[in-house]
Amino acid sequence: MHRQRHAFIHFCAGIPLVWLGVVFIVPLLISVVFSFGTNTFGGITFGFTLDNYRTALSGLYLAVLARTIAFAAGASFTCLVVAYPVAYFIAGRTGWQRTLCLVLILLPYFSSFLIRVMSLQILFSRDNILDAWLQRLHFATGPLDLINTPVAVLVGMVYAYLPIATVPIFLVLERIPPALRDASRDLGASYWQRFLTVTFPLSLPGVVTSALLTIVPMLGELVIPQLLGGGRGVLMGQIISSQYLQAQNYPLGASMAVILMLIVGVLLHLSWWLGRRLEGRVR
Amino acid sequence: MIFKRHTILASWYWLSAIFLFTPILISIVYSFNVGVLGKQTARFTGWTWAWYPAAWHDVSLCGALETSFLVAAAATAIVVIIGPMLGFALVRHPAAKMRAALLGLTFLLIVVPEIVIGTSLLLSFAALQVPLGPATLIVSVTPGGIAVMALVVRARASTLDAHLEEAAADLGSSNLQTARLIIFPQLRPAILTGALLAYAFCFDNLIIASFLTTATTNTLPVYLYGSLQYQPSPTVYVAAGFVFMFTSALLGLAGLSWHLASARRSDLPKGIET
Repeated sequence: MHRQRHAFIHFCAGIPLVWLGVVFIVPLLISVVFSFGTNTFGGITFGFTLDNYRTALSGLYLAVLARTIAFAAGASFTCLVVAYPVAYFIAGRTGWQRTLCLVLILLPYFSSFLIRVMSLQILFSRDNILDAWLQRLHFATGPLDLINTPVAVLVGMVYAYLPIATVPIFLVLERIPPALRDASRDLGASYWQRFLTVTFPLSLPGVVTSALLTIVPMLGELVIPQLLGGGRGVLMGQIISSQYLQAQNYPLGASMAVILMLIVGVLLHLSWWLGRRLEGRVR
Repeated sequence: MIFKRHTILASWYWLSAIFLFTPILISIVYSFNVGVLGKQTARFTGWTWAWYPAAWHDVSLCGALETSFLVAAAATAIVVIIGPMLGFALVRHPAAKMRAALLGLTFLLIVVPEIVIGTSLLLSFAALQVPLGPATLIVSVTPGGIAVMALVVRARASTLDAHLEEAAADLGSSNLQTARLIIFPQLRPAILTGALLAYAFCFDNLIIASFLTTATTNTLPVYLYGSLQYQPSPTVYVAAGFVFMFTSALLGLAGLSWHLASARRSDLPKGIET
């Protein structure tokens, strides 16, 4: 009887493994194989050369990689700074108010990503409707002219990933037993003492998850720098994409994708290590 | 003092919410913009309804919209079969190592940047000489949808009582009967929620799709993205507004089905008896 039940659960695990193996794992491995090949005119010679990695990690490309990492780290950090009080506020609500507050933050994330970025493009441009109104009401002193600057890309990234950053922090804050805070208050801790010694340390695993979930897509972000950054300040995603769609240098593009995956792997490992350390400290 | 602190926190929250909603509002307002010479401009040059009928008669725009609907529907059909299996196995697989491996795979699906997935799939199809078309596009957007579905189903399956399935097996029901009569009815609300989320996800996918669309198979986000290279007309914003309304409705349904399911959860065993 049990063997029969196991057959069912093996079937449940097997089908997704086969499907994801074919449409997800194998393509990633094919990218790895290509990254060691050589681009020849009109074709690819497979072999084992590190030339693509050498190219991807030198000169202009290295500068782009460094800028991408710095940008993603900065944008992710800014995102967390904005998201933390938002999550803290939502966790402080109860009942339907909490649900509503959470939904309000999440809803924009599920509307079309491209359209929101297109609208940001308008908002960052000179003389848009909001800018005109603000000037008429004398709220703004000069025109807002952010478009095609690094700041526009940064704001765009914070905008796009703010909902994603909020959820893990909220989920952790929500689970902190109020009794812990009450206890520290009874022992005479002030609000800020309570926050800094009880609430904030306990919420750090959520902060780590948020950091991971925002920095990873930011590293591969393609649309935001393209639409808000103009031609200047190119990031990794654009370079990879152009290797495929314009330069047709698949091996070089593949090696860049592999480098990106390796960085993600390092970040995953780091977050896992941090998470374990944090949990160990709490216990 | 406490009041003041709360006010600051509340203002921070509401400012963030306004920050998140402003661009959506702007996209709706700008679908009424006259523009200059039929092109969208940042300067608001006047109100007009004209772009709405124009969008309706735009063949390539409507074609892209139709492809998006079809691709998302077909991808969701695959996700609905494979995602719940994965979600169920994540909870019920007897080997802890296997559960960990499956969970690792699910997180990998979420954490690998879309640009890596998109380019890898493009390379694979090129290497295996599979011609690009609707089928390759559909297959390519499924991994993300499967991850979403698996996580939603996993959350639900972890609250289920395994004894029910064991009891059914002891009473002589086959695997298929247990799956159909015991497991599926309990997972149905989660599957519905997951399907709606996966549909919205597949519909909106831009980065993966942008590597796999062809001249004849173009989805709406890819079409919009392409049209940005040469200043698009405000019709694009009309389509955008339409899509936002459509996705919001889907998500509203997802939320409602989840809410109804959790409200009904208390009397679930009764439903199983019948």
